[in-house]
Amino acid sequence: MAMTTKIPEIDRRFALKSIAFYAVSTVSAASFPSLSQGTGTTGSFELALQWRAMSRLGYGPTAALVQSIQAVGSPRAWALQQLDMAATASQRPPVLAADVASINAPLPDIFAADRREAEARRTIKAQGDAAAEPTGLRRLEFATTTDPLHFNRTMVQQAAAWRLGACSQPEVEVPLLARMTEFWFNHLNIYAGKGSVRPFIGHYVINVARAHAFGKFEDLLLASARHPGMLRYLDQFQSVAPGTGGDQGRLRGLNENYARELLELHTLGVDGGYTQTDVRELARVLTGWTTGPAESDGFRFALRAHDTGNKQVLGHKFPDGVFGGGEREGLQAIRMLAHQPQTAARISLRLAQFFVADNPPPALVARLSRTFLDTRGDMRSVMQVLLESDAFWAAENKLFKTPMDFACSALAAVQDGTPDRRQWVQAMGFLNNAGQPLHGWQTPDGYKTDAATWLAPEALTRRADFALTIGKQIRDVDFLLPYLSAATRANIAQEKPALRVGLALASPDFMYK
Amino acid sequence: MLYTRPTSTPSTTLKRRQWLQLAGAASAAWAAPACWAQSTRTVQQPGRLVVVFLRGAYDGLSALVPHGDEHYYAMRPTIALPKPDGTPQTTLALDSMFGLHPALAPLMPLWQQGVLAAVPAAGSPDPTRSHFDAQHHWEIGMPGKSGNAAGWMNTLATFRATAPEEYAQAATKSIAKSVAIGVGEANPQILAGSAPVQLIAKGEAAKRQGALGGERTRDAIMRLYGGDDALSKAFRAGADSRMQTAQTLTAQASMSMNNGMGNGMESREMQAANNGAGAAQGLLLDAQHLGTLMRQDRQLQLGFLSAGGWDTHANQGSVTGALANNLGNFSKALVQLRRDFSQPRDVVVVCSEFGRTSAENGTRGTDHGHGNTLWVMGNQVNGGRWHGQWTGLALGSLHDGRDLPVHHDFRGVLAQVLRSAMGLTAAQIDPLFPGYAWDSTLDGLMRA
Repeated sequence: MAMTTKIPEIDRRFALKSIAFYAVSTVSAASFPSLSQGTGTTGSFELALQWRAMSRLGYGPTAALVQSIQAVGSPRAWALQQLDMAATASQRPPVLAADVASINAPLPDIFAADRREAEARRTIKAQGDAAAEPTGLRRLEFATTTDPLHFNRTMVQQAAAWRLGACSQPEVEVPLLARMTEFWFNHLNIYAGKGSVRPFIGHYVINVARAHAFGKFEDLLLASARHPGMLRYLDQFQSVAPGTGGDQGRLRGLNENYARELLELHTLGVDGGYTQTDVRELARVLTGWTTGPAESDGFRFALRAHDTGNKQVLGHKFPDGVFGGGEREGLQAIRMLAHQPQTAARISLRLAQFFVADNPPPALVARLSRTFLDTRGDMRSVMQVLLESDAFWAAENKLFKTPMDFACSALAAVQDGTPDRRQWVQAMGFLNNAGQPLHGWQTPDGYKTDAATWLAPEALTRRADFALTIGKQIRDVDFLLPYLSAATRANIAQEKPALRVGLALASPDFMYK
Repeated sequence: MLYTRPTSTPSTTLKRRQWLQLAGAASAAWAAPACWAQSTRTVQQPGRLVVVFLRGAYDGLSALVPHGDEHYYAMRPTIALPKPDGTPQTTLALDSMFGLHPALAPLMPLWQQGVLAAVPAAGSPDPTRSHFDAQHHWEIGMPGKSGNAAGWMNTLATFRATAPEEYAQAATKSIAKSVAIGVGEANPQILAGSAPVQLIAKGEAAKRQGALGGERTRDAIMRLYGGDDALSKAFRAGADSRMQTAQTLTAQASMSMNNGMGNGMESREMQAANNGAGAAQGLLLDAQHLGTLMRQDRQLQLGFLSAGGWDTHANQGSVTGALANNLGNFSKALVQLRRDFSQPRDVVVVCSEFGRTSAENGTRGTDHGHGNTLWVMGNQVNGGRWHGQWTGLALGSLHDGRDLPVHHDFRGVLAQVLRSAMGLTAAQIDPLFPGYAWDSTLDGLMRA
């Protein structure tokens, strides 16, 4: 497939320069003493593989990651080690700073606080007082923001803070786990700008995308389907059998929003062979699936809102007499969708685009897809095949960083020990302007991740802004320099020290992963 | 073109660019449109085209309300707009069939002046109800086609004639001058393709030069991107474009300030920029920026804007509510565009990927439908009336028994617009919309 880019396609020379020739020239190495330590004997080919492993299976090198990959020796071995670590870590609760821990509070508590905010706002409205937003929120300072009026906004900011910390601090989150969390959140996207979804964003990130990152796809899909974040985002919580009454007798019928996106985006794909009738029938199967504010998982099946008639989705009949009706119809339908070959192909393609190339080799996608089906959707097995493939390591399979990649890799490079939240605030500003705010994509398709979307002339210059801003206070990023081209290093060396870190992060070499 | 360069001219790239503009301005010609070729003495100023895309499928039946159709009220018991009674809380009657949503009241003068028209049952002939597929079809101009292709506005931009020799020589050294500009989106498909396109940031960020503002830092960055590779070229083009954009918009803002309009504009802009909630609200600021930039740089002939937030599956409201708010913001943006695009041949088109179900769903909203209302604005538009076929909302007239049919292929509407505004012939339009058919039932849409 010919890639239509908005600017002339990146030429081969640059690709070679940036990916294959991380040549450490002895001439310019002399100006960076750190080069003579340890990496002096590492070949450019090996450095390119290290860069790829650290930038794709995480967000980019930190001093500690460089040490770890060099200690292991083989980037391939390091990658498999990361997979083990990430899969194990996904089964443990995340390491949340005390002032953002509320994003992972029990769901009934989140529902209750959400209601308290609504009540507080009604009172304010009645009194006619304008509610000033706490100034700390914008600065990601949460200690003083316990005001019930700003609960939802606080939860959104806290979720963003957690993501930025997780993607840039390998000591807080295994890098590959942060990556997979991003992938699954994006695949099953929900939107922080929809009012009713806001308090659940962080909980959804942690308990849907992260918890099931390397498990069975069907479990991930079900966790998403039953989470209040998704139930509210795509209106499923309101969808009831035509003619039945919902809460307070207000709700009266079907809403096919979730059923359609479940087929089109989460599983089969738009060419996956379903019809408008399937959409509607699936919506009928799912009637009664709604939020349960008092339930520990936030889910409730409302039997009286369920359509008990006969339904048929992709030729499968509901109820089918074996499984019985009610809630089990939806469980059965979602599991059935999770295991379709079209689903396997779609997930495999998206994974390969995310980790390997905008137009990944079809043979790789086919192998991933086969593994998906053979293992009943075991994502750890699929990822292992991906990491062991030659395609993942091949220099010709280039990836241009998305704004998210760029922001996280820059943060990772400059953070040392305690993170500086001002830098996170700057990262959020950058992501907003770049068009990729955290949890901020309105529609359920998620962000695109290809160069055709993100490689745009003016947008490139905004990356430089961000790089120079957060590079200001940092003395050096010597561990990064061997990975940059000789030309870039020579250019940087000419500049005054205060500019060097920012320029390294703003360099063409740093735009690829 | 007038804008003041900073006293310290930065890089050689910018000098080239400046020179390019001079060379280019002398030769702003497009390929062969018949009407411009009539006479070299009275060359008619070519029109400019602005496309506003409402992403998410806006509910046209709430915008251009078919208050004369009883089925409308039967199918939408809680969300229909009330029949016109002459008050601002009901549908604003346009004729015995249609009226405007009260939130669109700012558009009424445009309708009455005859510069705004509607096509109530237009859309893509492809039946998909996927937002993403349908938007892709609209943007590449090929219903039913998936995969990558150039956006039709980009293809249109490539129609520009080859400029004189010196221009061509200069073009090999730098990035050619854009004739198309997009505001707000990272890289919309409709502008994707081989022609250079200026893409600027949404909101206030468009005014900032950032790291490029300081000479020393700028020079250091430019050296990193001094190469002949595509990324470096893209970066340099981006730096030029961004500095120029920031200067133009900043100059415009201070001019408004001096004219005593500063406060109003500033507060409007602040409002638009700060409230991230309603994407349609940001549309006003983006529209202002688009207008300023296209006024300052007359080589920019094609503009693109978009707003999201139209996918109203639940509780969309009626006279008030979420959709009404969005429509209100949208109408302000359209009025703003009218101020900046009122030259004889300028045209603004407003579209959305498909319509919504004729009937409301079980949650006081609407689901994905098919045909929809498309708006066209400009002096060439035969406005103050709606165009094309309308067959009502009786069940038997609906597509799949539920949605407004597509009586007019969107390409047919756009072809009418392109002929009138750009002087394109049917043959010239074909590369934009391969295989489209001329829709002669819309021949009255544009004035001859």
